[in-house]
Amino acid sequence: MLQIKDVYASVEDKDILKGISLSVNAGEVHAIMGPNGAGKSTLASIIAGKEEFELTKGEITIDGEDITELDAEERAHKGVFLSFQYPVEIPGVSVTNFIKTAINENRKAKGLEDMPASEMLKKIKEKADLLEIDRKFLSRSLNVGFSGGEKKRNEIFQMAMLEPKLAILDETDSGLDIDALKVVANGVNKLKNKDNAVIVITHYQRLLDYIVPDFVHVIMDGKIVKSGTKQLAYELEEKGYDWIKEELV
Amino acid sequence: MSKYTEDDLKKELETKEYEYGFYTDLESETFPIGLNEDIVRAISKKKQEPQWMTNWRLEAFKVWQSMQEPDWANVNYTKPDFQAIAYYSAPKAVDPNKTLDDVDPELVAMYKKLGISVDEQKKMNNVAIDIVVDSVSVATTFKKTLSEKGIIFMSISEAIKEHPELVKKYLGTVVPTKDNFYAALNSAVFSDGSFCYIPKGVRCPMELSTYFRINQAGTGQFERTLLIADQGSYVSYLEGCTAPSRDENQLHAAVVELIALDDAEIKYSTVQNWYPGSAEGKGGVYNFVTKRGLCEKNAKISWTQVETGSAVTWKYPSCILKGDNSIGEFYSIAVTNNYQQADTGTKMIHLGKNTRSTIISKGISAGKSQNSYRGLVKINASAENARNFSQCDSLLMGNECGAHTFPYIEVKNKTAQIEHEATTSKIGEDQIFYCNQRGIDTEKAIALVVNGFSKEVLNKLPMEFAVEAQKLLEISLEGSVG
Amino acid sequence: MNLKEKLQSSYLAFEDHLQADSPLHDVRTKAMKSFEDKGFPSKKEEAWKYTSLNALLSKDYSIFPKNETAIEFNDVKKYFLNDIDTYKVVFIDGVYSSFLSQITHDVIDVCLMSSALNKSKYSSIIETYFNKAANTDSLSCLNTAFAKEGAYIRIPKNKEAKKPIEIINFATGTEAATMLQPRNLIIVEQNAHVQIIERHQSLNNNPVLTNSVTEIFLEKRANVDYYKIQNDTQNASLIDSTFIQQQRESICSVHTFSFGGKLTRNNLSFKQLGERCDSILNGVTMIEDKQHVDHNTLVHHIAENCESHQDYKGIFDDSATGVFNGKVYVEKQAQKLDAFQKNNNILISNKATINAKPQLEIFADDVKCSHGCTIGQLDPDAMFYLRSRGIADKEARALLIYAFANTVLESVKIPELKERINKLIANKMGVNLGFDL
Repeated sequence: MLQIKDVYASVEDKDILKGISLSVNAGEVHAIMGPNGAGKSTLASIIAGKEEFELTKGEITIDGEDITELDAEERAHKGVFLSFQYPVEIPGVSVTNFIKTAINENRKAKGLEDMPASEMLKKIKEKADLLEIDRKFLSRSLNVGFSGGEKKRNEIFQMAMLEPKLAILDETDSGLDIDALKVVANGVNKLKNKDNAVIVITHYQRLLDYIVPDFVHVIMDGKIVKSGTKQLAYELEEKGYDWIKEELV
Repeated sequence: MSKYTEDDLKKELETKEYEYGFYTDLESETFPIGLNEDIVRAISKKKQEPQWMTNWRLEAFKVWQSMQEPDWANVNYTKPDFQAIAYYSAPKAVDPNKTLDDVDPELVAMYKKLGISVDEQKKMNNVAIDIVVDSVSVATTFKKTLSEKGIIFMSISEAIKEHPELVKKYLGTVVPTKDNFYAALNSAVFSDGSFCYIPKGVRCPMELSTYFRINQAGTGQFERTLLIADQGSYVSYLEGCTAPSRDENQLHAAVVELIALDDAEIKYSTVQNWYPGSAEGKGGVYNFVTKRGLCEKNAKISWTQVETGSAVTWKYPSCILKGDNSIGEFYSIAVTNNYQQADTGTKMIHLGKNTRSTIISKGISAGKSQNSYRGLVKINASAENARNFSQCDSLLMGNECGAHTFPYIEVKNKTAQIEHEATTSKIGEDQIFYCNQRGIDTEKAIALVVNGFSKEVLNKLPMEFAVEAQKLLEISLEGSVG
Repeated sequence: MNLKEKLQSSYLAFEDHLQADSPLHDVRTKAMKSFEDKGFPSKKEEAWKYTSLNALLSKDYSIFPKNETAIEFNDVKKYFLNDIDTYKVVFIDGVYSSFLSQITHDVIDVCLMSSALNKSKYSSIIETYFNKAANTDSLSCLNTAFAKEGAYIRIPKNKEAKKPIEIINFATGTEAATMLQPRNLIIVEQNAHVQIIERHQSLNNNPVLTNSVTEIFLEKRANVDYYKIQNDTQNASLIDSTFIQQQRESICSVHTFSFGGKLTRNNLSFKQLGERCDSILNGVTMIEDKQHVDHNTLVHHIAENCESHQDYKGIFDDSATGVFNGKVYVEKQAQKLDAFQKNNNILISNKATINAKPQLEIFADDVKCSHGCTIGQLDPDAMFYLRSRGIADKEARALLIYAFANTVLESVKIPELKERINKLIANKMGVNLGFDL
């Protein structure tokens, strides 16, 4: 589904990604781990099409189609979803209003009519229940005054609503207590099927106990330096990242 | 990566035509240009007014001649030549005795373009409409339903003839003729407008609405609205305005007077969408309006306005909180784009005890426009326990516009509690990206953020107007991002 | 002869003593012309909407004192910050008092404006700085025309004034009515530091009108900490205009404590010319009777990444009137700005008045600007709470007022001065409380 081929990327003329290749197939869960500043979030941003990040070399395709020239919203229409590490506040715009707009814009891009209100309401209710979100929450301004847990839950709620092909969860576990973590992970697992794929970006293996990855990749200094199975995550948890560094030298 | 840049947006905006800028080819009767006593007399005569009204106008004209056009507002424009304007223009086909069905088909087509098909509105929204084109009231719907409740809703010209006692008693009591230059001018030459009286204890069952439109070239529009809510009554009143695109500047100088007697409540909402001028700043309406309400005991007046139009706006809907426990509210969204200039706000004059006022003002500036909030909160020595809360927020889009806040606060009573806050912000790139990532394009994202910014005020509008107002915000702001 | 005419004729007399063909003379003539054209400000002007000078202008002021009056140090000791060593530049009725002063030319210049204006070695400095920051409003122009004496302070690059500098203007009141026009020039060069305390003090109840102008120039990374103590007698009025120009990375804070005088008008104007400047404007106003204090501030942001912070507290008793007219002006290129303005007021009496006009004028989009203004009274619940704990009414009130003004008081960096101000507040409220809470 997702092919990343030898990608180099920079921000403000600083090179961050230095030749990353990654192949993700439908039905797979990939975990990307690595120390701070290794380029994990940059990888997420470059897939989602954030403008400050410049792709200097390489190619990113979704189902064989090159997306590197597409705007962020066009990538979203192709099924790319990014769960933000720091979701943005939009005062005065309710969670419901926002997701309604997003769904209809995605439908418009596919040449579909707006989703009928009744269907929308039903879907919102269903997905809100899945993530244990209550009604009041849905009428609050998007991310304004949300706790860390609420923000992340809201991200996964949007993912549930939009049903993306490829979901990238950027540090979704940061700022979550164990209960919230379980709810979020449970939501992700329920949404998972053979036709979609998930990339989990995380610092710790804690989240991977709940969202079990098929593959684990370690990024250091803008490169994938090691790939393996879930076992690799345990090793990292136990020994930290230094042993990989040593191994590399 | 192909970016949808600010420049792209700007270009798109420039080519975006003023959506309401059609011109309706109505045959009209227009007075010769210029202003003197004879014109004032002629207007009065044309309208078959009684002598007292003619005298009132002439008195106002004298006052106006002795006054200077004010220049304290934060706006720059070529002062209109008051001798180059026609002071009366009426679509010829109008006969006040005709019913709606007889109305000039051109006119009906015009309402349709405005999106206010009278029939539809009548059926669906339960809104009674008075429509003023150029200067004359052309159709007042729902008269019968209203009159059963004792509600009088008609053009002010009719009211002068049919209810002289009410007009005499209240006209000019809240906005005296010598209040300011434009109010004096309006008093001398106003050609029509709406009159409304809600009797004691009556809750007006529907929204009352006036739609103003300047159609004829080279005319000024000077309408006069007088609204009286008798003791314990309630009314919600809507006012909409549009004008066709023209190269020259058109003048609009209206006066609105509201009187809320004991325990009465008036909700007055305006969506002002006069032609703002071209992207190069050519043409557009000069909107110099005096709106003021008087609250008696326990009365409440609430002004809500969405201002997206006009080349120059000068407007301060105000409340005189005379009665004890009376309440004044002002909710405003003012959007300026291209070369528009707006200097708008409110005055809350607290005279009675336990009076309260709330001011929520949202200013959005884009293009090369200038957007000013100017407000006065005055607590007199007599106003024990007065409260005011004011919040003025500005949103800037791009780096060629300006946002200004000029609040005046004057307090002479120690028991007063005043809170004033103002903030300035911009639309963040991170907000846009977040929306983009969810599949929402940049233009829609801006609309979403602006709507969110304006929410507190949009919520105050009656439903039918809120939808229109949101649409207007989107149209007015397309192509502006910082 | 009205005051304006009197000033015009006095200027002609004053001009006779001046060097006719100097560039400085041109500056004066132009300024005088400007004053003549504009006249004294009236309430019709937006900036003077809430303050009338009419009552002051009707007095027959003597423009230049006829005879020098000596005063004993012991009589005026209390007006000095005498528990620490300071530099002192002292004037009596506008004339320098070497007896009361302690000036220096050692590394830094703490001396007299008259020397700077008249000695040739300063001529290039005068040419570069004099009247370059001041506005062209009529009162500043009037001061410029008559500028004769005041403090001249220059702190050279990388130097620091080791002790605070006190500038004190005494008015003896030997004449029936006196008009004074001190003029200060302060130049703080790159990375230099200085602390200055300015005070105007009348010694009896004869009317005094002071029209003071101070220009302060901060070069790159300079740091100025300026305190204005305004606690004058009931017939003394002060129009204080201070103009500050800041170059990049400089920090300037001005604290104004207005505790008394008939009428006090503070025009405080900052211009940020370089990036990363910080301007701090703090004030506590505490007045009663028929006193009138008007703060008119302007922060003009021109460069990127700058900050400004304004915090003004006002407490008004009896028939006192307070005015706060603060403006933040942000030019189009002044991006990434953080400007904050706060004005809180308490009315103690029902005859007191407060007029506030906190304005923002913004032409740049990527800025954080906000202002907040409140007017209220002492919280009755808090009063009751304190009294129920046995604290008497007067003391309870004093405590709450002190707490209200505390954010500003905290910002005073000279401990002795802070203590002095605390005592002034305690005296004003007639309590004997140590406020080191």
